[in-house]
Amino acid sequence: MNKNPNKKRKIISYIIISISSILMLTPFVTAALNSLKTYKQYTAIPVEWIPNPFRWKNYLDVWQMTDFAQYGWNSMVVTILSVLGAILSCSMVAYAFARLDFPYKNSLFFMVLGTLMIPPVVMIIPQFMIFKHMGFLDTLIPLWLLEWLAQPFGIFLMRQAFLQIPKEYEEAAKLDGCSPFQTYWRIFLPMCKPQLATLTIFTFMTKWNEILAPVIYLSSEDKFTLPIGVLSMSGAWFGKEQYLVAAALMSLIPILIVFLFTEKFFVKGASSSGLK
Amino acid sequence: MIGNLKSQTNIQTQVNTKKKRKSLSSEGKWGLLMISPYLIHFIVFIAFTLLASLYFSFSSYDMLNPPEWVGLENYNKLIQDPVFWKSLKNTAYFTILFVPTQTILALILAVALNQSLKGLKFFRIAHFIPVISSWTVVLYVADAIFNPRFGLANDLLLKFGLEPQKWLNDEHLVIPVLVLVAVWKGVGYMMVIFLAGLQNVPEDLYEAAEIEGAGVIQKFRYVTVPLISGTTFLVLVLSTITTFQAFEQIYVMTGNSGDITAAGGPNNASMVLMLYLFQQGFAFLKMGYASAIAWILFIILFVITLIQVKLQKKWVHYEK
Repeated sequence: MNKNPNKKRKIISYIIISISSILMLTPFVTAALNSLKTYKQYTAIPVEWIPNPFRWKNYLDVWQMTDFAQYGWNSMVVTILSVLGAILSCSMVAYAFARLDFPYKNSLFFMVLGTLMIPPVVMIIPQFMIFKHMGFLDTLIPLWLLEWLAQPFGIFLMRQAFLQIPKEYEEAAKLDGCSPFQTYWRIFLPMCKPQLATLTIFTFMTKWNEILAPVIYLSSEDKFTLPIGVLSMSGAWFGKEQYLVAAALMSLIPILIVFLFTEKFFVKGASSSGLK
Repeated sequence: MIGNLKSQTNIQTQVNTKKKRKSLSSEGKWGLLMISPYLIHFIVFIAFTLLASLYFSFSSYDMLNPPEWVGLENYNKLIQDPVFWKSLKNTAYFTILFVPTQTILALILAVALNQSLKGLKFFRIAHFIPVISSWTVVLYVADAIFNPRFGLANDLLLKFGLEPQKWLNDEHLVIPVLVLVAVWKGVGYMMVIFLAGLQNVPEDLYEAAEIEGAGVIQKFRYVTVPLISGTTFLVLVLSTITTFQAFEQIYVMTGNSGDITAAGGPNNASMVLMLYLFQQGFAFLKMGYASAIAWILFIILFVITLIQVKLQKKWVHYEK
């Protein structure tokens, strides 16, 4: 009697999730098919869904005939520098908040939480001015620099991690004559690998896909990151739109690979951002 | 005698400050040193920028000449600016369509996924691929569906003998279509947040409800919904705040190869506050006017969040 409602629930769930998964994936499949067509077939009416023949060469053409590789390199530089900065700065600041005693600690931490609530929109224009005065316009620097100065979300995430570690580790390190920085670097940081992975993946996803900051700060095409680079192609590739679809899907491949290997941490990161 | 006592207390306080200084010179000093990146961040990039943007909002500023104080002029102009009101209306319309739709769908999906199902990982990945895609990817993926000439949507409409639509080029359809795409992209993320919340609902409550004779829908209504109302509240507040500041999607999907002045169409039907702010500031160099828009947006968000916090007492269930 108890099993019956459970079975019913499972069937309903399967139906809901299957329909929803199809809705999630159909646009990608359709776009992928479009990216393998000739322009004639791409615009054919009535629509021909299956490419004939499959033109894999479209992808090679995009790679060879556009600045895709340059955009990809720029995206890579911004993403890697951001990830490094986020890991180092957030964990260091978070360690101090979690484990050290210093003047005004609580009010300062309250401030970190408070700044989480400020909508970024009010800070965009003055931040642009600051970077302009520093001479950083049309460079990649504004896209990653702030990550080296500890973002509140990362501080919060890492602080939670450090708080869970028992006090004995600290005392042992002190007896061995470690400074607080050494204790953090050698003992505590290696113990927080899961949270560091979450922070890495989150920063990776945000930076790889970011559009707003590149739009503001970059003006030369050779500095463009992938999202705005691919977007900027559409003018020059009028009448060859199937190439644009291929370029867009190609820009998804790196993050898709990272995601498939680290799916578990993505999910963890998303659920902890509920605290944000 | 008194002098003696005084000097003694003096010595005492000296010792005390020495002790204090000594403790600051070790742990306290390390603490301050280690949070210094955030201190710089806060002072330069948050506190200073907040004050500066407030000042700009009362100034006329084109970035080439120094800002000039104009008092309330920017705000007065804003109140009389029909495009500002239109973008405010569009932003509200977008948010009202988007936030409840995404929240309800995410909750349903999370409840469906919150059990041991075969292929769970596949389903989760399927819902997360749109989440990890950039809006540029989404632009071309959505175009496969909503292209007015050869998209899947019109192909289906034609097959059923219905009138094909112009979708993003249609003044009345542009925001609903954008919302639909935004839900498609974001629902997987919200679903995962709800899944984390559902994992905290104790299984024995469902068993108790079953003994009382509750069915699937009743269990959802009387056990699941109240117990994850805390998560729901958080999701609502967060998604309202981010939706009100939505920029990237509309910039990418209604624009033309990254031209910021082309976005927001047709006929400003998809002009939202953030996009208007960007056009005014970065395309027309009216930084003072743009800052005023930013502060109005800030105040609106503050009020909405305050209302949400007030209302939560009525429906959010907290465990005692």
